[in-house]
Amino acid sequence: MSRVNTVLGPIAAEELGLVAVHEHIGYGMPGSELDTQWWKTPEQRYEETVPKLRRFAEYSREYGGCTFVDATGICNGRDVDYYKSLSAKTGVHIVAATGFVGGDTALRFFADATVDYLMRQFVHEITVGIGDTGSRAGIIKVGVSRGFRMRELDLRIYRAAARAALLTGVPIFTHLAVDVEPALAVFAEEGLPLDRVLFGHADDGVSQGRVNETAILGGGGRIGFDTFGYDLELPDPPFWGRHRRERLEHFLRLIGEGHVDQVLASADANCSPLGWPGVEGHTVNYIYEQLIPDLRAEGIDDAMIHRIFVENPADFLTLTTN
Amino acid sequence: MTTATSRTVNTVLGPVPADDLGVVAIHEALLSVVPGAEHAYDISMDRAEIFEVLAGKLAAFRAAGGRTVVDSTGMFHGRDVKLYEALSRSTGVHVVASTGLGPEEDLGGYFLTPQTDPPTPWPAEKFADLFGREVTEGMVVPRVERRRAAGLVATCATRGGPTPTDESLFRGAARAAVATGVPVSIRYGADPLAELQLLLDEGLPADRVVVGNLDRTEAVAAGWPAAVAERGAYVAIDHVGRNDSDHHIRDAERADLVAQLVAAGHAHRVLLSGNAIGVAKGHPDYELPYAHVLTAFAPLLTSHGVADEDVQQILVANPRDLLAVR
Ligand SMILES: [Zn+2]
Repeated sequence: MSRVNTVLGPIAAEELGLVAVHEHIGYGMPGSELDTQWWKTPEQRYEETVPKLRRFAEYSREYGGCTFVDATGICNGRDVDYYKSLSAKTGVHIVAATGFVGGDTALRFFADATVDYLMRQFVHEITVGIGDTGSRAGIIKVGVSRGFRMRELDLRIYRAAARAALLTGVPIFTHLAVDVEPALAVFAEEGLPLDRVLFGHADDGVSQGRVNETAILGGGGRIGFDTFGYDLELPDPPFWGRHRRERLEHFLRLIGEGHVDQVLASADANCSPLGWPGVEGHTVNYIYEQLIPDLRAEGIDDAMIHRIFVENPADFLTLTTN
Repeated sequence: MTTATSRTVNTVLGPVPADDLGVVAIHEALLSVVPGAEHAYDISMDRAEIFEVLAGKLAAFRAAGGRTVVDSTGMFHGRDVKLYEALSRSTGVHVVASTGLGPEEDLGGYFLTPQTDPPTPWPAEKFADLFGREVTEGMVVPRVERRRAAGLVATCATRGGPTPTDESLFRGAARAAVATGVPVSIRYGADPLAELQLLLDEGLPADRVVVGNLDRTEAVAAGWPAAVAERGAYVAIDHVGRNDSDHHIRDAERADLVAQLVAAGHAHRVLLSGNAIGVAKGHPDYELPYAHVLTAFAPLLTSHGVADEDVQQILVANPRDLLAVR
């Protein structure tokens, strides 16, 4: 039986439909909740979020449904009860993550914790539930702290995640694919097959020249083109933005080289950001409104699109223990 | 200049006349949560249970003659303003809550590695604004609402000495205090005089500052309590009741220290506290009654020759003068 943990309970991978594999209902750095400049009323939150998810569901009818993988880790404003209500009312499957976006988003209690403790935290959230919600995490988030260098705490989290992934069968996705060698070493030491890891943000503007794609692909890892839409063509692009054409060509190049089963794509958009302004107009629906048309225009056929957005993410998200 | 008697203190239920504070436990914690521990899979945050424990401790404090408890843990270490309001209402104990952050390792990434390029940590002026608004606009219930004004700004330096961000926190705390009239509590990291000076350099009068941790062994050996008093700041001998720590002096020595400070004319600069923790989450319990200073240590002061009027000065008048908003 193939199972994927969503916030409303496990579902068969066959039900996932089109998957946006790295998205955020709302992301904020820990502490941003203290700064009223970012506060919004619950009415505003739902108003900003529900139409985007409903549109995502409408666009996805031909795929039999859709899944929104929320990449917001512990301490970053992850709000599972809210996700449950959104999922129940819009029909979008939502997968919640355990783990941390990076060491610099792990608050002191976790920054002081051992690998064993972090592993137990992740395993608990995957097998028992997140807090009192009863919802089980379906994926583990790990990442590199700001500054493009893997830190000791980052790696402690990677190692705990690898152990939790092996025990529970959920996959791992990373924030940033830079300075990847220490991460590859940890996964090798722990014996985690690299097809269980999506090395994310390999496509962003500031990571170019810093991602060892050869090592990731050679080891069997997956590469995340998951910041689609943070285009420098936007009126006010973020610092990690990239020219649309350049990102698309990068993606097509890997597909052309035969790596289609090792790439996944997403938009990393915030439905309603929690601790930063967000990027006006950028939503998960970039996948339908820009990316898939761009791919079709480049001659990527429906079967290939299905493979990239439906079959491969289903394979990735399916609980897999050996 | 207004007199202390016409001044008010910011409590979680609103301003109260400074003269109503009575005996004050000045450097304590109500709910103390290591940042992040509220998300830990093995830590329960049963609100009813937390309330019951805190209410019991506050009631015992009141029964012993205490009137006011100051939660000096800042805005990000478990502070729960609505819980404190309900506790104050039900026990009749005044609760003064604090704004402020620190040391650096207790901060979230929002302040340390913001989503900017490069990720420059927050400067003093941004902390000043954050803390100042907690006085002028009210303390936050995160992402929900603001409540009453904070009664003080509490911050703390990294042991070993302030990091650059700790320094920004200290300067920001001082600026917020200058702008709003509430005092600042600091817990020093390495050198209380140098760290106090950071606040004074921002134009904050010394008598608006309480310097904590001054009953550390090294502080007493260096003569820092008297030196801080001579600068005009309040000296917090704030681990009263702790007699099993290699890093702190014992109560008998604390009583000697207080007697010396009083004899040197510093009675109006001494504050006593136990650093009691009502409920601890993510770190060990510390079961010291809030009334410990009042019921156990005050008699010890008397036996060390401190006059009753000086004891009253220390337990009632000094906290009142410190906490009264200027
Ligand atoms: Zn993301």
